[in-house]
Amino acid sequence: MLLICSGCKTKNFLDPYPFWNFKGNTKCAGCGKIWRLETSNGVCVAGPEAADGKPDLLPGFAEKPDYSAISGPGLTRSAPRARPTSVCKPIPIEKNVRGKTVSGHPLKKEDLVGSRPRFIQEGM
Amino acid sequence: MATPKVAPWPAIPILKPDEVYAGLSDQAKEYPLFLESITRQEKNFEKPEALSRLRVLDCTTRMMIGHWCSSMLSELGAEVIQVEPPGGDPLRQNTPFGRKEYMFQDKETGEEVGGQFLHEMRNKLSVTLNLETEEGREILKKLAVHSDVVIENGPPGQWDAWGIGYRQLREINPRLIYCWVGQRGQWGSLKDKPGRLDPVAQAACGFVHGTGDPKEFGGQPTRSALWVADHVGGTAAAMGILAAVVYRENVSGEGQFIEATAAEAIIRILDYSWGWYSMDGSIRPRYGNWDLAINIYAVNPCKDGYMMVGGGHDRLWYRIWRTVGDEQPAVEEDILGDPHLREVTERLAHDMQVKTYTMLGEWLKDNPRSEAERKLSKQQVASGGVLYVNEVAEYPHFKYRGHVAEYDSPHYGKILYGTTPFLQHKTPGRLKWLGRPTGYDNQDVYRRLLGFTRDDFTRLSETGVTHEEEEEEL
Amino acid sequence: MARETAAAKQTQSFDEYCRETFDFKKAFGKPEALKGYRVLSCTQYILGPSCASYLAELGAEVIKIEAPRRGEAMRHTTPFNEPFLYPLSRWVPERGTGLGFLGANPNEYFTSVDFHRKEGQDIVKKLAAKSDVFVENYRPGTFDRWGIGYRQLKEINPRLVYAWLGGFGGWGPGRVRASYDILGQSQGGNFGMTGKQEFLGGAPAKHTIWLADYWGGMMAAVQILAALYWRDKISGEGTFTEYSQVHGVTRQLEYALPLYGRHGITRERWGNWDTQLCVHGIIKCGKSSYPQSENPQEQEEGYILISAYDDKDFARLCQTVGDGNLAGKYAKQDIRIQAKSQMEIYPWLEKWAANKTKEEVAAILDKANIINQPVWNSKEVANNPHWLERGAVRWLDDPTYGDLLHQGPAYMMSETPPRLKWALKPVGADNEEILGKLAGLSAEDLRRLEEQECI
Repeated sequence: MLLICSGCKTKNFLDPYPFWNFKGNTKCAGCGKIWRLETSNGVCVAGPEAADGKPDLLPGFAEKPDYSAISGPGLTRSAPRARPTSVCKPIPIEKNVRGKTVSGHPLKKEDLVGSRPRFIQEGM
Repeated sequence: MATPKVAPWPAIPILKPDEVYAGLSDQAKEYPLFLESITRQEKNFEKPEALSRLRVLDCTTRMMIGHWCSSMLSELGAEVIQVEPPGGDPLRQNTPFGRKEYMFQDKETGEEVGGQFLHEMRNKLSVTLNLETEEGREILKKLAVHSDVVIENGPPGQWDAWGIGYRQLREINPRLIYCWVGQRGQWGSLKDKPGRLDPVAQAACGFVHGTGDPKEFGGQPTRSALWVADHVGGTAAAMGILAAVVYRENVSGEGQFIEATAAEAIIRILDYSWGWYSMDGSIRPRYGNWDLAINIYAVNPCKDGYMMVGGGHDRLWYRIWRTVGDEQPAVEEDILGDPHLREVTERLAHDMQVKTYTMLGEWLKDNPRSEAERKLSKQQVASGGVLYVNEVAEYPHFKYRGHVAEYDSPHYGKILYGTTPFLQHKTPGRLKWLGRPTGYDNQDVYRRLLGFTRDDFTRLSETGVTHEEEEEEL
Repeated sequence: MARETAAAKQTQSFDEYCRETFDFKKAFGKPEALKGYRVLSCTQYILGPSCASYLAELGAEVIKIEAPRRGEAMRHTTPFNEPFLYPLSRWVPERGTGLGFLGANPNEYFTSVDFHRKEGQDIVKKLAAKSDVFVENYRPGTFDRWGIGYRQLKEINPRLVYAWLGGFGGWGPGRVRASYDILGQSQGGNFGMTGKQEFLGGAPAKHTIWLADYWGGMMAAVQILAALYWRDKISGEGTFTEYSQVHGVTRQLEYALPLYGRHGITRERWGNWDTQLCVHGIIKCGKSSYPQSENPQEQEEGYILISAYDDKDFARLCQTVGDGNLAGKYAKQDIRIQAKSQMEIYPWLEKWAANKTKEEVAAILDKANIINQPVWNSKEVANNPHWLERGAVRWLDDPTYGDLLHQGPAYMMSETPPRLKWALKPVGADNEEILGKLAGLSAEDLRRLEEQECI
């Protein structure tokens, strides 16, 4: 469910699975306002209305009206991660987890012998 | 057993070809009709069987992997003899929540069998043989002379210690293909840790850890409802056995020793987990019903259940939002205007997936599965609802193609079942029968293969080699 | 085999015998089951490619044909958009192949041909004339329209085994539907019954692997092997095989269809417990095994499977956990297996495990000879000596990409073991070799076609 905070206009993304049948408080990631709501089968049946107290479940993600992202501890729920850090962009890798060479970074035509990286062919 | 008050299947009649291809030009329906002419299951029995020259002894018990493997072979025509301990494979006793009323009863003998074993006991003969006895093992050796394949799942080294392992049977029949199946393996550091039954394999290979909602969504590692590692492992074993048959016939004239485990079959298909870990130390996280590598490619809740929508290409992304925009223009507008969602690759970030599926949810909450599918298919987007088994059984496409069918068993009555997916032009897989009472074929098999006389039958029955020992009165 | 060696093998311990017989490092000293067979893989994604790859493991010469320059869609799929293997192709070295492609195409030769063009179709016909198996998973009728379907290729090569794989099959009301793996899972029926129980607020859960695809490929490979055997041994004829992945999923529903057909009952989700055996389920162990780790996956608490469903095993479990009350109440399996019994038994086990790691629980249960299996994550599996010594996962010196951990074949054979040669290659890496050798293209042809991006 998309919860647009009437206070600061932040778009709070209340992701489907945990919020499909939900009764309780969530918190706007933009301004911290507590919103009380009830959903049933994905449809909002009560609220959202301003409330006091603590949030029961934080949004999955949020953004300002200009699409700038809001996320972080205490604001949105953390993402599942495979490693300590996550960038979601191609990461250049030269040495693998046991310190050996793997061809994990972009190359140029001059780096190749046929279709193979020269540095692999030459066994660096 | 009480007569069930259940509507006959199918509740809705199966479509006819005229209805399925109605309104299509001759040219448009020519190819599907050609395919029907060569693969319809009604024609199965007019065609030969690929493996009819092979005889298989399935000696596995208490596990599904061996029975699945021998089903692959029996559906393709091999003669499969299930060698069960006297009293039958204990798997026969499995029934949901222990409910005896859910079991299937043999009309002649009253013997009961649970649905899981029944469903996999297809095209197979049943003999009983007590391999715990010396005499039983001698009989097995004699059966091995006449067999192409033996499948067993004894504890590691058990059959070898009994003198009926590969090393011994190959001396008796050098053409024998001998396959051991199990959960984790008959050798290696874990061999002495007993495993026995899936989902041991599912937990040992990384599958359970990777399935289910992430902890951040309140989820936990989840097993498959099915003994799925056994299915995959049994299929892997069948690949090995058939490869061995091909090699024997083409080249060597000899058999070989095959080992297949449920865990390793799943490890083979855990796609990129291993390479990913080796490149940057990543440990594959659970991601619920979303995908780590493709957006949009997920199942999410909808008005009447759960809905799969898929479209990793850029082109499909825009078509999905066009469909949504017909009813929720503000949603489509927001998505199209978002600079962070412009690049295909940027849509993969978790935050972007949360946004994607929350926005899609705004549309899905108003659409039941059939409506969502109808609307998305107009834009050629792959989608479909999560179906429960009652819906699978009545789904028009599956009924038409015979994915689900009913078999009228002389022993057990009408049984609804999943048919073989081995559709073929020349040698299709097929169902000959479903279910077989324990030891039903003792007389036939032992007489025609081993020349048992009536005295043999009596003696072996009394000594508990082929029948359960009589319990002594206390 | 020499008499002394045979005799020696008989007296070896069984464990030693197995280790030697199935040693994957010795595989290259043994013949290949499908030596001399040639397979064309005109496939994309996972279902079709994986099928051909199982034949490649057995020694068939498998030729993958992809779209020129960028290859097929699966090369552009990688978890979190982070890891790639470079180069994607010699024409596009600044991009890489995503790891979604890993595991689906090992041991193969990689060519690029544009099927849409007549010259591309002619090349495919030339290759098909010399092949034993043709695997494709395009929309039904596509290859027929291009003149390289079953009907056309069997005129050129009557011995060809033509294998089509797809989601819903080539005929019937759903034949036009595109399909993905999780659609196959959803519609085939194994998705709806997996996951946390409905009454506990759960939802259906997909199998984390592309199960319908990868396992579907194995099923189709079984069909192909049977067809090759029938052709070579009996008939001399090729054939057409059709594999629908949603059909495969419906095939594997165990007791669900018989139960529904006879009693009108729809099989429901039962989470991490088992519907037919108790105790046979996965419970949470309260402590993390690596609380100091920086990796969030390792910070989580552990889980373990406990299997003690025979009465005597359950009694021993109760003794180990130390609760006489439940031991008496649930001594008999037909009482234990009932839904309400399970709702008491598993929370009781989780309470006991709440202050333990999964390794601690495993050690206690091992000592009591109770079957158990900790739920291992991918790192634990990758580093486990059992899987490494058996070659289920193995470090591969890939000729193009370097040092990679890769899965081994799904099964072992003593005389003609399947084996892993390389993980994958860039798009069109073997164009000169394959198209020159087999399709008879001259160097001039190859240059011209490359310029036109037909190859």
